[in-house]
Amino acid sequence: MLSKEKALEILEKGLKYSDADQTELLLLEEDFYLTRFAENIIHQNMGRADHTVMARAVLGKKLGVAVTNKIDDEGIKKVVKDAIEIAKNQKDDPDFVSLPKSGPAPEVQGFDKDTHNYSPDDRARGVKISVDNSQKNNLISAGAFQTETDVTSVANSLGIRQYFQETKANFSLTISRDEQSGWAQAFSRKVKNIDADKLSQIAVQKALSSAKPVELPPGEYTVILEEAAVASFLLFLAFLGFGGKTFSEGRSFMKIGEKITGDNITIIEDPYDPVMNGMPYDYEGVTKKKVVLIENGIGKGVVYNSYYANKNKTESTGHALQPNNTFGPYPKNMLISPGNSTLEEMIASTEKGILITHFWYINYMNPMKTQVTGTTRDGTFLIEKGKIKSAVKNMRIGQSILEAFSNVELMTKGRLLCPQYGVLMYVPAMKINKFNFIGG
Amino acid sequence: MIDFKKASEIALNSAKSKGASYSDIRIVDIEDENISVKNGAAELIEKNNSFGFGIRAIADGAWGFASSADLNEDNLKKTADLAVKIAIASSKLKKNDLVLAPVTRSIDSYKNPVQIDPFTIPLNEKLDYLLALDQLLRKTEGITTATAFMDFRIEHKFFSSSEGSQIEQTIIQSGAGIEATAMKSRREMGKRSYPDSNGQYESKGYELIKELNFEENCEKTSQQAVAILSAKECPSGTKTLVLNGPQLSLQIHESIGHPLELDRVLGAEKNFSGTSFATLDKLNKLKYGADIVNVVTDPTYPGGLGSFGYDDEGVKAERKELIKNGLLVGYLTSRETAPLIKILSNGSMRADGWGNIPIIRMTNTILLPGNYNFEDLISEVEDGIYVETVSSWSIDDNRENFQMGCQIGWEIKNGKLGEMIKNPTYSGNTVEFWNSCDGICSEKYFKVWGTPNCGKGQPGQNARTGQGCSPARFRNVKVGS
Repeated sequence: MLSKEKALEILEKGLKYSDADQTELLLLEEDFYLTRFAENIIHQNMGRADHTVMARAVLGKKLGVAVTNKIDDEGIKKVVKDAIEIAKNQKDDPDFVSLPKSGPAPEVQGFDKDTHNYSPDDRARGVKISVDNSQKNNLISAGAFQTETDVTSVANSLGIRQYFQETKANFSLTISRDEQSGWAQAFSRKVKNIDADKLSQIAVQKALSSAKPVELPPGEYTVILEEAAVASFLLFLAFLGFGGKTFSEGRSFMKIGEKITGDNITIIEDPYDPVMNGMPYDYEGVTKKKVVLIENGIGKGVVYNSYYANKNKTESTGHALQPNNTFGPYPKNMLISPGNSTLEEMIASTEKGILITHFWYINYMNPMKTQVTGTTRDGTFLIEKGKIKSAVKNMRIGQSILEAFSNVELMTKGRLLCPQYGVLMYVPAMKINKFNFIGG
Repeated sequence: MIDFKKASEIALNSAKSKGASYSDIRIVDIEDENISVKNGAAELIEKNNSFGFGIRAIADGAWGFASSADLNEDNLKKTADLAVKIAIASSKLKKNDLVLAPVTRSIDSYKNPVQIDPFTIPLNEKLDYLLALDQLLRKTEGITTATAFMDFRIEHKFFSSSEGSQIEQTIIQSGAGIEATAMKSRREMGKRSYPDSNGQYESKGYELIKELNFEENCEKTSQQAVAILSAKECPSGTKTLVLNGPQLSLQIHESIGHPLELDRVLGAEKNFSGTSFATLDKLNKLKYGADIVNVVTDPTYPGGLGSFGYDDEGVKAERKELIKNGLLVGYLTSRETAPLIKILSNGSMRADGWGNIPIIRMTNTILLPGNYNFEDLISEVEDGIYVETVSSWSIDDNRENFQMGCQIGWEIKNGKLGEMIKNPTYSGNTVEFWNSCDGICSEKYFKVWGTPNCGKGQPGQNARTGQGCSPARFRNVKVGS
């Protein structure tokens, strides 16, 4: 992987090749491995080494973006030249003020040497534990064991110089037989924290418990959402309205200072939380701020990059995505404050309800009302009189996320780190009343 | 830069020397140009180039794959060695040694026909055109947001295998679309896109832009976005449903294409994309759809977004039946999966760029046209809805049921299109739905719609696919909430 000195040397050189008014260079490097298994065998197993440079050139109020993965001198020169050429052909963007300025970000320890050095044989050993646990129970194991090391370095002509190296380990698995299915997932910066045995035991137990599922009619139920299901809701909420772009365009549900969920919901974007150890700056190099999104049910804030901060006369919170997207700023390290219950207590307190492991294919039905649909998956159970009575066939939800977060009766003390689509979320399980299902 | 044939020799020889019984290499160079404008200003202009190579190897009877962005002799050897090392690690959890279906050795090249190379059109000309469309969209009172975009891609691929195939391909693709949004309040929004919510993508050059005839569709697009705000809600109940081309394209993609990917059927996607109800025991037995439902996979269809000369295993593109007179008769296959149903691969393996493993992907999934005129299709409906343009969709992990949302619809009463409806939705069971199809429009209405962003696999891969269809009618479908 590129050292801090080498990465910044490449970027410094790139800045010197530019005669634009302002220039920004983002360097991304990845060393990515993923071992995929299904039907108790490893069927896909890969490694990838890539590096990308994204150049953003500014001429007055005109911007151009060019991207390459050729990072030799010739490649860097070309990508800078391309960005300038694009800017020359651009029209003025009246809302653009300047690329950002920012001091160095605080030190965050996101790198683990053992994870970086993890080998294909090491991953195969982890997979074997899962497969062995499945076979002992006459079940079939499928999943993915991923380890990666990433470097993200940013430099611009206004003095920003940032470098961050991080590791990620992610193990997800589905253990099944016919209609029976159980799922579990773990994420850590350190691969030694991934316990393949514990994880596969959870999925095995879910699979064994999900025999002979009953069919429930659509309608309103009390539900207990395990952490991954809560994270899917949070991710979609962020997509629908925690970004400064959707907010400033009036497409967000967020109303600052107004009640939008129940009192017990507090959502914070915080890459500095020790459980996250997230990158401390964004893709334009601005040091990230902790942002309270919802506090005790009241809308408090959204995240900004420099462009939408300027447009809304506020400061960037350090949440720019890569410059070649039009989605706008986005939170990538969200936490929901915990409750004081446990999963067992939540089940025991439920007269009749449904326990949900995770969701599949959440998509919006009415974005302005945060109304989504999707199905339950890999472990859905009927609770009666405080106990799990039977498995339930997968059901289709039709539910407003904000309404669900207004009907949270209990949350767990313990939380789980859930990675979904490049976003890390640390969330509790939730007991939610009046949750709507629209089909089987 | 090192010659590609020389590079492939180095890689394949190195893999063989480390113990690979089979290997192949893909050297891929992709250039993209993306331009989007919004409310009178360019939102993004981007050029993107990604170059690298990926090596697949079978060693000890199992797969390994390694890829890198740096094409030089040392790195080719290092990456080939890693692919073999990964394969040997895979072999520790295998049941049987891999068996690949035979493939004809090919030394060939392929280029899709293009009238106007989009990369020869000056950037400012493209930008000016999009800004003119944006202005036309905003002419209609009530439009709060107008957007227009163009995407162009050229992909050069060189494939070489240890079985002696060497195939070069160059594929140019173009895409473009417009969208208008009107807002009544923070809670109510009317949105219309043309030709579809993703625009339209085809394996064509800049000629596609003119063919899409945007200027003539701006006014209608904007007027409908505004009109949606005062349209009535979608009625609820069991009704006859008529789908326009783009919406039917998604329906084909999600509830025929994905369920018939044989890797999925065999459980390879169990942990992520899911499985399929269309299991092997149903081949040649399952009445997937009504008699008029005939579906083929056809990567040779001219201009289709899923068209190519050879797949990423070096299998020549060919048209194959998937559903014949309603009966399930085929799957999308690879060299690894095809022997399991005693056939040769039908060339459905593709990878996203150079850094991913080829997996089974749709090519152009085509619902063959019927013989209806659109007016006749509507005239036979007593009580129903006609819907246009994908808005949102959700499908269960076994592809048995679905929930679809569309941008706009119209009531059909006594054989005639009636009042406009907003937020139309419908849902159903896959097999029941396709068996309820009782009318498909003729060739006159046929088009292959492009999907530029089909997601599958771990790590997530993006594929470009096409779905061909004419508007069609379905009876007794649950519509509304």
